This record gives sequence, C-alpha cells and structure tokens, in this order.
Amino acid sequence: MKLTELMTMELIELQLKGETKDEIMEEMATMIDRSGALYDKEAYKQSLYHREMEGSTGIGFGIAIPHGKSHAVKQTCVAFGVKRSGVDWDSLDGEKAQLIFMIAVPEEQASNEHLKILQFLSRKLMDDEFREHLLQAKTKEEIMQLFEQV
Amino acid sequence: MKLLAITSCPNGIAHTYMAAEKLAKAAEKMGHEIKVETQGSIGVENELTPEDIQSADGVIIAADKQVDKSRFYGKRVLEASVTDGIRKPEELIAKFERNEVPVYGKPQSDTLKTIEEVKTERKQKQSPIYRNLMNGVSYMIPFVVIGGLLIALSLAIGGEPTDKGLVIPKGSIWNDILNVGAASFTFMVPILSGFIAMSIADRPGLAPGMIGGYIAANGSFYGSEAGAGFIGGIIAGFLAGYIAKWIKSIPVPKIVQPIMPILVIPLFSSILVAVIFIFILGQPIAGIMEWLTSWLNSMQGASKVILAMILGAMIAFDMGGPVNKVAFLFGSAMIAEGNVHIMGAIAVAICIPPLGLGLATLLNKSKFTEEEREAGKAALAMGLVGITEGAIPFAARDPLRVIPSIMIGSMVGSVIAMLSGVTDHVPHGGPIVAVFQAVEHVPMFFVSIIIGMVVTALLVNAIKKPV
Repeated sequence: MKLTELMTMELIELQLKGETKDEIMEEMATMIDRSGALYDKEAYKQSLYHREMEGSTGIGFGIAIPHGKSHAVKQTCVAFGVKRSGVDWDSLDGEKAQLIFMIAVPEEQASNEHLKILQFLSRKLMDDEFREHLLQAKTKEEIMQLFEQV
Repeated sequence: MKLLAITSCPNGIAHTYMAAEKLAKAAEKMGHEIKVETQGSIGVENELTPEDIQSADGVIIAADKQVDKSRFYGKRVLEASVTDGIRKPEELIAKFERNEVPVYGKPQSDTLKTIEEVKTERKQKQSPIYRNLMNGVSYMIPFVVIGGLLIALSLAIGGEPTDKGLVIPKGSIWNDILNVGAASFTFMVPILSGFIAMSIADRPGLAPGMIGGYIAANGSFYGSEAGAGFIGGIIAGFLAGYIAKWIKSIPVPKIVQPIMPILVIPLFSSILVAVIFIFILGQPIAGIMEWLTSWLNSMQGASKVILAMILGAMIAFDMGGPVNKVAFLFGSAMIAEGNVHIMGAIAVAICIPPLGLGLATLLNKSKFTEEEREAGKAALAMGLVGITEGAIPFAARDPLRVIPSIMIGSMVGSVIAMLSGVTDHVPHGGPIVAVFQAVEHVPMFFVSIIIGMVVTALLVNAIKKPV
C-alpha cells in the first residue's frame, strides 16, 4: 500500500487561497469533505482544533500537519496544500508554514496499514531534500510522483 | 555512546515518528548509536529490550504522553517534549555528551546492591579503550569455547596414548571434530580485532579489523614463523578502528557519501592496516609473542607459583571487572597458543569467590544479614557455573574485609591447580567446565576449588564483624 492510495488529485492544492490558519483549516477540510471521506465535516474540524489545543501541529521546517482522529471520518485520507507566501501556524520555530498536510483518521481502524503510511510520511518529511522537492513541484502530477516514493 | 529513546505524542500519528527520525539522524551525525522505540497509535514498535537498556549509556524520552520509566531505573534519563525531539535533537544528545543528565531513581546506598547495579556503575566509569577491547573479547569468546571444547573432547575420547602424547588416529571421526575445533580457533584473532574496530568506528571498521586480525595471526605475511597472536590482534583492531574513524571524519562531497561506509573507508583502512602490519609491526609483535609463550611454557617451580598467585588475585580482585577480565583474556588467549595450564589455574580462581562466600554464610549465620544469606545461596549457584560476579553483593557492602579474603582464597586455589597440572581447554571457570570434559586432572581441579573455598570462608568469617 502506498501514500498515493490515500490521496487523489482533488486532495492536492498547489495554491491555497486562505490567508490565516483558520481559513486554511476550513479550505482543506472542505477538500477532504468533497472527496467523500467524512460523515460530518464540523465534527472532524472539531477534532482538528482539539489536537491543535494540545500543541501546535506546526512542527517547524515550514510544515504543518493538522490531523484529527474522529468518528466523523469514514476512511483515512491525506490532503496536501501549498501556501508559498506562508501562513502563521504558531509554529515551534516561529516560521510560517508553507507545506500543509491535513490528515483524517477514523476513530476505529480496520487495520494498521494506513497508520503505517502516515508513519512513513512523517519520517519522510524530516528529509530536507524531500521537502525542497515538494516546494518546487509545479504540477499535481509532480506531487503525486513524489508521494509515490512514500 | 549508545543511546536509547522513546517517542510518543497524544495522537500517535505523526510527531512520534518525526521525532524518532530526527533523533536517529542527529545521533548518526554526531557519531552515536541510537535505538528509538515509538509508542504511536499502531502500538509500540522497535521495542527496547532489557539487553538494550542494560547496555545503554542513556535514555531520551521525547514524549507528550506519560511513559513508563520504571524500566530505566539506574540509567541516565532525559525527559523532553516530543517537539524538542523534532526541533532540537542535537541539543538533547549533547546533554549526554556533556554528562549533564542525572541518573533516574538513584538507588539508596544502605540496601544490598545487586550485581546488575554494580555492573551498571562500572560501565559508566569504563574508559572507551577498555570498552572497545571488551566488545572484541565478548565476540571472540564463543570461538575459543567451541574450539577448545571440540579439541579437548576429540582428544579425550578419540585420542590414543602414544609416546608423543595423545594422538588421534587418521581416518577417525574424531579427527574431523578436531579439525572443526581448529577451524573455530582460526577465527579467534580476526573476530577479536574486527569487533574492536567495529566498536570504535561502527560497521565500516569491521572489515579492516578482521583483515588486520587475519594478517596479525598469520606470520607468513611478514616472513615470521609464528603469528603475532592475540596481542597483534588487539593492536590490529585498535589500529583499524582508529584509521577507519579518522577516514570517516574527513569531509567529502555529497555524491561520494553513500559509498564511503561500504567502499572508501573499508578499502583504505584495510590497505593501511595491512601495510603497517606487513612492513612495520608484524615481526616485532610476533617476536614478543614467541618469547612470551616459550617463557610461559618453560616456567618451573617458583615462577609458576608467582604467576598463579598474580592471576588468582586479579580474578578475585574486582569479580568480573576490568582487572579480572585482563587475567581472563590472557588465559583465553593462551588456550589458542596451546598453553592450557594458565586457564586451568584461572578456572579454579574464578569460582572460589562466590563459592567461598556462599559457604561462609552457611557456616556462620551471625556474620551475615538475612539479605546476604539469600545472596549466599545465589552465590553458590553462580559459583558452580563459574560466574565470579556472584560475590559482588558481599564485596560491595564490606569491601575491605571481603575482597582480601576472596583474593587469598583464589590465590591458594590457583597455585594448587597450577602445581598439580590442572588444565582447562575452554575460556570459562567453575565446576561446570569439568562437566564438559574440558579439564584434565579432574580430582585435583576439585581439590583446588574446595581448598580455596574453605580458605575464603574461614578467613572472611574470622575478620567480619557480627551483624
């Protein structure tokens, strides 16, 4: 199983419109909702904010990974968005987030495979080159190709 | 350093693994070994084993969730948030380098220290050179055990007495077993130096170390009849390790980096070690070894007694610590050089401290606490299988009375063994080696042990104060 099975073209946005953390949360949650992975978008968003309360998911290196585990999620999926000008995510290093991964995980997991993939993605994001490639990608196809490696 | 880490975060989806990745990368960059256990939503992965914890120099807990620390009792434990693990892994590791991390749940001093605790303390005080050497020795010992046992067995069962000593008839199955034993011996020096080098320079050190060890052990490389033996092997191991470490530290362009550990470092280290051994070190070390073995073999009367006394005292002095290990290493190396008398004396000395102290607790209960009497039973069992460490709890509590008593007991035992021609073909001590047919002059072997035990027990009970 690959990361690309958790993503579709409609879950990638190379030019996020939102200017604030809240706007981008809404924008990307809507992307996930439109792909049909959610039962209830508002409940899912609550789980996202709940997680942010425990500590910002802006982990630095220009990355934010808002994620929520909730009954409102039908199936595991990952949305990816780029905000070139950056958005303030209360990041730990004070830098703005440019690469945003929004992750939705159902409360009850049928199998661990999805979690495994997210684990690989997390590890991969610590690789400077991988992040650089993501930032430089011009098309959704290029992004998909990069994710093929995960 | 060998570090351990645990990472964990509330959801266990992303941060746990990011921190794990960063810690692993930072440790590698800073030249340390690390194993990271992740406690994520998948459950615990890459779980730390008791052996990992036992051998670790420190533990980093990068978690925003409660992590059970009880298994790290007595270890240096640094607690940080999972984001610290992601953001500043280097800083966390540097705290261990600067020795700033306190030991978790330091044991109280008035209770009887366990063997494990004393060993851990010792490990923290060990110098890196000693640690590297012992890493090599621990990998080498099984080869000496296999070689020694098979050779002793094939001679004891398959050998026929002739005027040239025991000879195994050609074509007998015992001849094959003898050859298998000899094969195991040929690995001894290369494994020793290989794993010394690996302890210094990690994996790229292994090949140059083993190759250096092989050259050291084979005199034909440098026109000498005898090899440079275990002394040559130790020197080759350190040489290979430090050369590999030095090459590793040279900055290289990024394109070359992937082939450094598999090609550049091993190749150039091996060539350098080989050149140094073939042209400079090989012959003089082989000369020293030849002199040493012939001197040991020719030793008579008084000098034999003195050697046995020194070895016996060393074995008992720190019960499995560095001094003990030096004597033990010497005895093991001499087995491969064909002198099994030295290990015979050592095998007796090894088991006397725990057996003697165990006996003392049975003879005079008033001199020992309840706790010590329990430890005495354990010590007897450990003595039978040749684990000197069984004496540690007693020595840790009352070193000034216990250590001299066991040293004298072991000295007496090993002198008697040496004078009565007791031998031991395997690098291990205690009655168990007789069970494995590795000892010659079995009755005298036991007489030496019993006399040493009794001496220790009477002495310690005479000078110890009642509790």
